[in-house]
Amino acid sequence: MSANKAIVEFEEAGFAYSDEAETLSDINLRLHEGEFRFLTGPSGAGKTTLLKMIYLAHKPTRGHFRLFGEDTAGAPRDALPPLRRRIGVVFQEFRLLDHLTAFDNVALPMKVAGINQNQYREDVSELLNWVGLGHRMNAKPPTLSGGEQQRVALARALVSKPDLILADEPTGNVDPAMSERIMKLFIELNKLGAAVIVATHNLHLVQSLGKPVLRIADGRVSHSAGAGGAG
Amino acid sequence: MSERPLTDHPEFDDAPPPEAPRIHRFRREPLLPEAGAGGAPLTAVIAVISFLAVLSMASVLIINKSASEWTAELRSEITVQVKGVDAEEIAAGAAAAMRILNETEGVIEAMEMDRDDTAALLEPWLGKDNAAAFVNIPAIIEVKVTPGLRADLDLLRTRLAAAAPNASLDDHAAWHSRLSTAARSGQMFAFAVFLIILGAACAISIFAARAGLAANHEIVSVLHLVGATDEFIASEVQRRFFVLGLRGALAGLVVALAALGTAALSLKSGIGTDSFLPQFSIGGWMVLWLFAVPLATCLVTALTARLTVLKALQEQY
Repeated sequence: MSANKAIVEFEEAGFAYSDEAETLSDINLRLHEGEFRFLTGPSGAGKTTLLKMIYLAHKPTRGHFRLFGEDTAGAPRDALPPLRRRIGVVFQEFRLLDHLTAFDNVALPMKVAGINQNQYREDVSELLNWVGLGHRMNAKPPTLSGGEQQRVALARALVSKPDLILADEPTGNVDPAMSERIMKLFIELNKLGAAVIVATHNLHLVQSLGKPVLRIADGRVSHSAGAGGAG
Repeated sequence: MSERPLTDHPEFDDAPPPEAPRIHRFRREPLLPEAGAGGAPLTAVIAVISFLAVLSMASVLIINKSASEWTAELRSEITVQVKGVDAEEIAAGAAAAMRILNETEGVIEAMEMDRDDTAALLEPWLGKDNAAAFVNIPAIIEVKVTPGLRADLDLLRTRLAAAAPNASLDDHAAWHSRLSTAARSGQMFAFAVFLIILGAACAISIFAARAGLAANHEIVSVLHLVGATDEFIASEVQRRFFVLGLRGALAGLVVALAALGTAALSLKSGIGTDSFLPQFSIGGWMVLWLFAVPLATCLVTALTARLTVLKALQEQY
């Protein structure tokens, strides 16, 4: 068991969309500072739903959920944004703002945190250069390819140096070389202290990196140790 | 996470060589797109509202100015009327009254109206040229007085009654009261119209803010997910509405000032400068009030949008 503090804690939690049967049931999950987990499962199993609960887009319909030690069910509304700022999310559908440039999309978490542009301009430019989009800083998402949009979304998730990184199929639209670089980046960021959860269908990636895995099947989350590789 | 720069770790050693420096346009992009927040249609509606608001405020100011001028004139004048059975008795009474008036401290000027002018005043009742046939047309004395004397006319009344028993003094109190009441009613009506117009601006803002929020649902959701507070989002909407409102309000002000100027010129050329009606003119502090109207309109618009968005965010997210 890790000596680090738990930053994501579910206890007997469940989630149902409106009055339907629970999509996820009896979730008991703890993720500590600096831990890395893959999240796997068939399509529609509830991977994205679990991530949404963690990044506070959905509230569990039963049970308890604590994020960074805060009981989110009882937290006042204005306590949630500071928690969200500690999370970097790479959405499966990217969710970039079409009317903003790539630069402004990446800078969004800094802007909403009220940080002066002079303080983040260099980081944003550097990240965009790193993901190979230094020449497309002024491009708007509709003019970018799927892979380029995914890289902008990745840069946006990382720019605020979050304590928790959630990535929903982050390698779905990029070539194998870029996939490898992105996963190596997550691992490096994890070494620097960020907890990481990567939802993916790419079992080859999961097996090759040998990190612990959360599997979702039939609405339930199970844990398994990673196979091979360094943990 | 570490406070080291994000790209200052081994993984970034694999990064592609830095791109040649490129210029990024570091201008402040609005986080909500202009069209989604109402855009041109909202600007046009605010322009119309501002135009009407400026006209209604101008009505308040013009009525106030006119009433002040009318009542000031009435308050500085009194009228002495001398009746009698024949012209001799009237003339004797008028002379006695003039003597008393000229001796009274506070009388600036006393002037007896010409008999023909007095007869002309009676023409509406007696018919043209008939009035002159009457021998007992009262003498009318117009008296300009100081505010001090105007405040206490009892002594003058007593002295007039003693010197010319047929003389009566009219201080225009009834006229003054009626005019003040009419002016106050007119002002209240115009101000009520002004408030209703501002209410319309509020209603439009609520509608546009809600529509904008619905149209930008995805953007608002993303802003929330990257850590934006309700206040931050509401401030973005407020800024957007203030800019749109200011554009529209200034356009409305310009058109309203042009309309008022045209009306003032038309009236001046139509009724001349010697009319009983005060001059219809706008200047000085009145212009400042009119400039405050579009500012109030866009502030109302922006604040209403802010409150609407805050309420909607609490309800929807």
